[in-house]
Amino acid sequence: MAGTALAPTKVRVKTSAMPGHRSRIALVNAVPVTVFLLVLFVYPIIGVLSLSLEGDTGGFTLHWYADALSGVNLSVLLSTLRISAETAVLSLLVGFVLAHAIARMRPVFAALAMLIVVVPHFISALVRTYGWIIMLGEHGLINALATSVHAPGAPYSLLYNEIGVVIGTTSVMLPYTVLVLQGVMRGVDGRLLAAAAGFGASRFTIFRRIYLPLVAPGIGTAGLLSFILCLGYYITPALMGGNKQTVVAALIDQQVMKQDQWNSAAAFGVILLLLTFAGLGVLGLAKLRRKKAHARRSSS
Amino acid sequence: MMELPATRAGHIGRALSATAILLFLAMPIVIILVTSFGADGIGTFPPKEYSTHWYEQMAAPGGNWATSIALSSLVAALTTVFSLILGATAATALARGRLPLHTAVYGLVLAPLLIPQVVIALGLFLFFEPAGMLGSPLAIALGHTVLAAPIAILIMISTLRGIDERLEDAAASMGASRMTIARRITFPLATPGLIAAAVFSFITSFDEFFIAQFMSTPDTRTLPVLVFNALQFDVDPTVTAVSAVLIALAVLALALVALVRKLGGHRGGQNVLPVEPLT
Repeated sequence: MAGTALAPTKVRVKTSAMPGHRSRIALVNAVPVTVFLLVLFVYPIIGVLSLSLEGDTGGFTLHWYADALSGVNLSVLLSTLRISAETAVLSLLVGFVLAHAIARMRPVFAALAMLIVVVPHFISALVRTYGWIIMLGEHGLINALATSVHAPGAPYSLLYNEIGVVIGTTSVMLPYTVLVLQGVMRGVDGRLLAAAAGFGASRFTIFRRIYLPLVAPGIGTAGLLSFILCLGYYITPALMGGNKQTVVAALIDQQVMKQDQWNSAAAFGVILLLLTFAGLGVLGLAKLRRKKAHARRSSS
Repeated sequence: MMELPATRAGHIGRALSATAILLFLAMPIVIILVTSFGADGIGTFPPKEYSTHWYEQMAAPGGNWATSIALSSLVAALTTVFSLILGATAATALARGRLPLHTAVYGLVLAPLLIPQVVIALGLFLFFEPAGMLGSPLAIALGHTVLAAPIAILIMISTLRGIDERLEDAAASMGASRMTIARRITFPLATPGLIAAAVFSFITSFDEFFIAQFMSTPDTRTLPVLVFNALQFDVDPTVTAVSAVLIALAVLALALVALVRKLGGHRGGQNVLPVEPLT
């Protein structure tokens, strides 16, 4: 954390605080949030899980999962995965270019650029999506520009299809990827690059053999993070997509609000949850491996 | 930092691509702000004539928009109170104490930020539906607190970690009681963080869509739910004015936080995206 890095090294002076006393106070303070989240977060999710395993007349069944993984429902699941993957790749590419540029900007411009990246994150995603709808429409700014310069094929259809959805979701995920990538890029030791250049390595070689491996962990984290966050996201697909861009989250909403199919919605919820856990698991494993490798290197 | 000398081509390439991406990010927001003052609603861009008609429409008393703005404000205010209480206690436990099961509690706190919100919303729907509490502002606020409290906690943890603990230890060694230390030393130093936590809790709730959508009834719809419906079903140009207000609110909130931090002499980044614990 940036705040602590600046503070001088702390010499802990234990005065009145006995260690046992401290952990008792901490325990008491941890109670409200733990109870709150157990009741209103963990318990409801267990409720979703048990509902997904419950037949119409009670009793255990895997029927809802079989339903969710076949026919139209399966294709919705697959298009959710596809849209999430496309978003992850695109927001990585765009985020990389942007973070790389920001890392080499003068501080004033870098701060300004970060402002433009981060401020939209705090503006409702609905509002940003609406902005994209106005901008990408048939008579929107992009098509007006493309038509006025007589771009071949203009006007393009950028809305109510997958292109529109991926543009929209990418802009929602971009703050995350840029922040993660910026974190690793700041940690790259410029001397390593300079040393490689001193030995006659070309720019491309330096980038591929030195820079990229150094920032690789950040690339992995950023990509997975935007993939995970995209899985359960549905504002943009619902507003900017067509029929083919129905995603799992939209289906859950429909089944609860319009069709009273709670069990089926619950099964989809659990599937989303499992996919998210899988993604987080990969993130955790990668982190663990890095730590181990680091420990090995510093001990030898 | 030592760096490779920049080539002119590389420099220009980077500047151009960064500018294009940043423009791309900023444009949708600028377009909404301009369009909201257009007389012809969602017509052409830029609008041919300007008026404040849509803003008047939005604020018309008794209308759908005014009602939902009032509901959203109430829910957001309740959420702020809840998450400040949870945030202050939890942050104290996580940042200061020697908490047993520290990792487990921290993981539980982070989880709502990473789990798909639609799943949380579904769970809360199933939780509140049997109690007949759907549409109740209190229930929606409790649901929003699941998302807002973790953000408040992360902000307050980084605030508490930024406070030099030796100040508290010094006061303790001179005989100040725990209460006095909290009131006279920790609280004043943590005020900028508290304000930031309050502001972010408020806008998290005010902008939240999934939970509000699942817990809404036809009579109680928060502003984002109404905006979503307006965008999906009936195109009401008033939505542009509402969007512009939401943008202004977010920018004002961020400016307030930045100002308070500056007055409080706080330096360094803020921990509001759950990115840091993952890297």
